[in-house]
Amino acid sequence: MDIPYQQYFDAMPCYMTVQDREFRVITANARFRKAFGDYQGRHCYQVYKQRAEKCEICPVEKTFHDGQVHSSEEKVRCLDGSEVSVIVYAEPIRNPDGEITAVMEMSTDITDLKRLQNQFRESQARYRTLFEEVPCYISIQDRDLNVVDANRLHRETFGSFLGCKCYQIYKHRSEECYPCIARQTFLDGKFRVHEEVVTSQEGKSINVLVHTSPILGASGEIQHVMEMSADITQIRELQSQLASIGLLISSISHGIKGLLNGLNGGVYLVNNGLASGNQGRITQGWEIVQRNIVRIRSMVLDILYYAKDREPDWTTLSAVAVIDDVHKQMSAKARELGIELRKELDGDAGEFEADEKAIRALLVNLSENSLDACRVDRKKPQHRVTLRGAGNGGMVEFRIEDNGIGMDQETREKAFSLFFSSKGSEGTGLGLFIADKIARAHGGGIQIASEIDAGTSFLVSIPRRRSVRRAESEA
Amino acid sequence: MTDKKTILIIDDEPDTLTYFSSLLEDNGYKTVTAGDGRAAIELVKECLPDLITLDITMPEKSGVRCYRELRENEAWRAIPVIMVTGISGDFRNFISSRKQVPPPEGYLSKPVDEAELLNLVRKLVKAEH
Repeated sequence: MDIPYQQYFDAMPCYMTVQDREFRVITANARFRKAFGDYQGRHCYQVYKQRAEKCEICPVEKTFHDGQVHSSEEKVRCLDGSEVSVIVYAEPIRNPDGEITAVMEMSTDITDLKRLQNQFRESQARYRTLFEEVPCYISIQDRDLNVVDANRLHRETFGSFLGCKCYQIYKHRSEECYPCIARQTFLDGKFRVHEEVVTSQEGKSINVLVHTSPILGASGEIQHVMEMSADITQIRELQSQLASIGLLISSISHGIKGLLNGLNGGVYLVNNGLASGNQGRITQGWEIVQRNIVRIRSMVLDILYYAKDREPDWTTLSAVAVIDDVHKQMSAKARELGIELRKELDGDAGEFEADEKAIRALLVNLSENSLDACRVDRKKPQHRVTLRGAGNGGMVEFRIEDNGIGMDQETREKAFSLFFSSKGSEGTGLGLFIADKIARAHGGGIQIASEIDAGTSFLVSIPRRRSVRRAESEA
Repeated sequence: MTDKKTILIIDDEPDTLTYFSSLLEDNGYKTVTAGDGRAAIELVKECLPDLITLDITMPEKSGVRCYRELRENEAWRAIPVIMVTGISGDFRNFISSRKQVPPPEGYLSKPVDEAELLNLVRKLVKAEH
């Protein structure tokens, strides 16, 4: 009966040995002998690994110690020098008294499996690198729209908020967006594309083109949805600039037509007055001509400021003198409209460095805006616009206040946007945009305080010194 | 003295109001003026003009809204309207293509040609009676 067992032992498709307490190979099957050669009187670590000492971690030793089955993964070297990965199982062999007299070690060749495992691991690492380094924002959402994974660019731009809702991360919203293409992809498994504006963790708006695709589980159900968003802000900005040029041309052409109509009116009255000897008409007509010429000049300056980022022509100015000049310039228009134009000057307002023409254009634009806000207001019997100039440490401050119609929140927020005008055909939508641009070019800014029916206050702050401005604008 | 025909001039540019009212009064018409659509509708109620010149881009109430109100009111529907605007000629096609309201009787682009305005006014005021 010994022979069949020896045959089974030899036929086992793995390396089998029986070892004593000193890890000597007592017997081995044919497959082992073929792969590792002569084992007689040798220790297993000598045969398997050509080592002089036993391995640090040895499953056979553990089995001798506690009588349990132990296993480990090892790398062994065959006679032909090839390295083979094996999974080792050690099982005790007991005598009739239950004492462990030897340990049977069975080592299965898992080299192919290991190779596949390594390939899989490498391939996973490669895909992870692709996922991480792809130059767009990628996030994986679960059915509750929680972001469960995100790539590097996504984390750097929107922050590491795994587990948070996508709409919180992308849009700082507390409710799901509508429509939500991730939700739609969960419902029907279809790929979708949508354009969105999202906000980075620094508060910067980013135009993105979002693609969604389903990620299926083993049984084909949609487990997650992947969102891949490409930053198209530059494209949108370029489109917007092109559209702006179109709007500028249309806005200017509309404005010029209105001014030409006004000039025609003035010329008509002057000619008619000259023909009929009516001095009143001549004066009235001439005032219209002059007013429209001033408007044309102001429009041309606005266009120049819009069209070109000009470096200010720096000179030292007196804040009081500037307000005085603007007050003089606006007086005729205010008088004609029946609006009181006040000036309140702080004698200590001091001097500041600025481009004289630009600062004057800025204050004239704001004053005209205030006069217009009073002109169209029918709810108050008396209107007034106040121009103030004062010093505030390293800044000079100009305040233009009116008690006109005031602005609602939307008008206030869009007031400095290009081509936004609430003034009908009189507004080109350039005035406040230019005013803001001039203030910024000087390293300053304009703040608006306004309430519907109560009036508006523009606060213009300009640093006194040019160097401070440069440092700020460069920062 | 015969009754002068009344023309309502609606425009948010004071210079245009002065210009048109002087020109039309010099040519034998009575004029009333409004600086926006809201004031214009009040004036239409008060004086029922024989003709209206209407600017499009105005604050408060635009010329387009004002025009629709004029056309929707039975009593005002017959008043001829000349739209006068500086915005693109495409607007004329747009306003003419709208099905909800009939097109205006006249359409002039700024800067307005005086002779063209006077001819159109004469024609429309005569045609009305």
